[in-house]
Amino acid sequence: MHPIFVLLRKDLVNFRRNRAAVILTFVVPFTMIWLFGVIFGVNKKDSGPSGIPLAVVNASSSPAAQKLIETLRTEKSFRLITTFTNPDKTQRLLTEADLRPLMEAPGADFRFALVIPADLISPEKLGLHFKLLSNPRNEIETQTVNGILQKTVFMQVPQLLGQSLQARAKAHLGESRFNEFNHTIASTVARTYGGDPAVIEQHIASGDFTFAADGSASSTAAKPGASSSTSSPFAQLINFETVQVVGANVKSPFATSIVGGWAIQFLLFALSASATGLFRERDAGLFQRLLAAPVTRAHILWSKFLYGVVLGGIQLATLFMAGHFLFGIDIFGHLGLLILVCLFAAGACTAFGMLLAACAPNAEAAQGLATLSIMLMSALGGAWFPITLMPVFIQQFSKFTLVYWSMEGFSAVLWAGQSFVQLLPILAILGGMTALVMAVAVWRFNRGRLFG
Amino acid sequence: MLSLTSVTKRFGALTAVDGISLDLARGEFFGLLGPNGAGKSTTMALIAGLTAPDAGTLTLDGQPLTARHAATRTALGLVPQHLALYPELNAVENLRIFGELYGLHGADLRTRIAAALEAVQLADRAKEPVKNFSGGMQRRLNLVAALLHRPKLLLCDEPTVGVDPQSRNAIFDYLEQLNREGLTIIYSTHYMEEATRLCSRIGIIDHGRLHALGTLDELLTRLPFEEEIRFPATPATIDFAAQLAAHGELTVEDDVRRFRPHPAFPLSAFYALAESHALPGRLFTMQRPTLEAVFLHLTGRTLRE
Repeated sequence: MHPIFVLLRKDLVNFRRNRAAVILTFVVPFTMIWLFGVIFGVNKKDSGPSGIPLAVVNASSSPAAQKLIETLRTEKSFRLITTFTNPDKTQRLLTEADLRPLMEAPGADFRFALVIPADLISPEKLGLHFKLLSNPRNEIETQTVNGILQKTVFMQVPQLLGQSLQARAKAHLGESRFNEFNHTIASTVARTYGGDPAVIEQHIASGDFTFAADGSASSTAAKPGASSSTSSPFAQLINFETVQVVGANVKSPFATSIVGGWAIQFLLFALSASATGLFRERDAGLFQRLLAAPVTRAHILWSKFLYGVVLGGIQLATLFMAGHFLFGIDIFGHLGLLILVCLFAAGACTAFGMLLAACAPNAEAAQGLATLSIMLMSALGGAWFPITLMPVFIQQFSKFTLVYWSMEGFSAVLWAGQSFVQLLPILAILGGMTALVMAVAVWRFNRGRLFG
Repeated sequence: MLSLTSVTKRFGALTAVDGISLDLARGEFFGLLGPNGAGKSTTMALIAGLTAPDAGTLTLDGQPLTARHAATRTALGLVPQHLALYPELNAVENLRIFGELYGLHGADLRTRIAAALEAVQLADRAKEPVKNFSGGMQRRLNLVAALLHRPKLLLCDEPTVGVDPQSRNAIFDYLEQLNREGLTIIYSTHYMEEATRLCSRIGIIDHGRLHALGTLDELLTRLPFEEEIRFPATPATIDFAAQLAAHGELTVEDDVRRFRPHPAFPLSAFYALAESHALPGRLFTMQRPTLEAVFLHLTGRTLRE
């Protein structure tokens, strides 16, 4: 058997015997992918935060305010707290005066509180006025709570604003002109979308603009979670027609779009660790024994490269398999091309690991260098978040990372369903990167201290 | 068989091997004796072809050793100073890898592996991961891993470092047996006892230079005395010692005087002088010179420095 294959088999058997390495290579990434999937609610329609404690104080007598609270109760993102428990275990409704002491106390039950003031709807003021108290732990949490509250108020309970507008209009126009105005609008709506003008006028007068085109009270506000209905005449005024050009038929869009980034990160860590294994072999004197045999440095290096490609290919395939079984990613429809991209990505990652081993003076330095460069490449390459969120000049650097092109490859196969010919440019770039990095690594190996 | 001619190897400003010349005949058991850092391992690495000399030539059966010819590679077996084994693999798997690298395979390889493990008493641990072996067992496996392909020349670079006496004796016995069967061995060590027991010829190396080369007896003749006489460093021997100083080398260490007489000062004269100082014969012990003394004489330092 050729020395390269003897050494390759040795590395594979060695790997199989090393339980810690097997766990780190397969089980940990598998678990992490599962964990991330659960955390981020991959493939769940109701993904997002849930159960954020939100105290609500309602000082308004408006039925709309009560309706807002009921709607908030149905919002899964929140767990509403509206009562205060006295020392004698009796309960009463929360007041605004209760909020600050409760929120400032260590281990507070809630860190966000919504106050609906008594003058929520007033003829003297235009619009709605709420007060949100917060003790935020981080900016994202605050923005999330604000966003969900705004969504609930403006999308689920639009009649709140309608009531306010109606009250203010009535105050300014006077009863007669106000009724005439509503009557004209109701007639116009009925002519355009159909329905009974009298019923529509009643809805408009009560500030409810979410009625159905036929005038029935099919308000979407009462149906939490439902999308804005096109049956409402006012909803039809602005209508976006959304057309997904690529990936419309992908079974698990979210998982498919992000699993490549996760997989390539784990692969980089695994292959960097295996490349630093070169130092362990050197320190154990194994290179002396090997090089005293009819084995050359090239045999050792190329056997390591092959080992990396085989191991990396298996690891990527395993992680995509995990993605298939856990999140329904369709891999079997593109298996051949996916394996091809996996092998090219594994080759590029292996070459990167070899370069680290060639440049670093010892295993510890190589591991430190690996951690730094993997984090940097993953961030720049778009494994953590879309590169479009980065400044334009940083986006230029993304295209110099193997993470970017590996993800492009996975995306081309799994998301866009491209053919082999369409995939060729990406494979060529990955192959070119591999050749270039390996050439530098081999040059460094021959001048470095690894074989000295 | 093996010939080194004015071989020099430098690492920057350090000359690790300084113009060594050496000829080895087939079947020799050659010892390379020197302290740590003397240049033993570099000499071994040069012979093994692991590094190229800056000057000089090395040949094995007339073939240049620096050229990476498979024929010269397979004629050599190297037992590195380190335990060059894969700890996660078992003994058989380790031996199979090293055997296959030399082109062995199939039944022939299996037979050789079984025989090798039997020879170093590891047959019953054949399927156990090497990491579970004791240091001595790993050393024995380290040795046979270099022998599977039946080399003509075995290079042992301090193969008994950290080995218990039992395993060390097992290794010695096995090496002696191999040498009796015709294997040529180069054995580097800083233990004079090992060189004395095993080697038919010894080279004394220090600071990269070969200071002396020969059989044990030949090396001992390099000393300017034939024996060392020891006696207590007491007040009663002060005058006697003062007179002895003119007839040889006299040193004091740990309350013991050591006297190495010049060849022109016979033992009979020594005892006559002792008698004249009323010193009884039982005070004196005769010590045959050792390699340690030869090394000290040639290099001015001890093997453990």
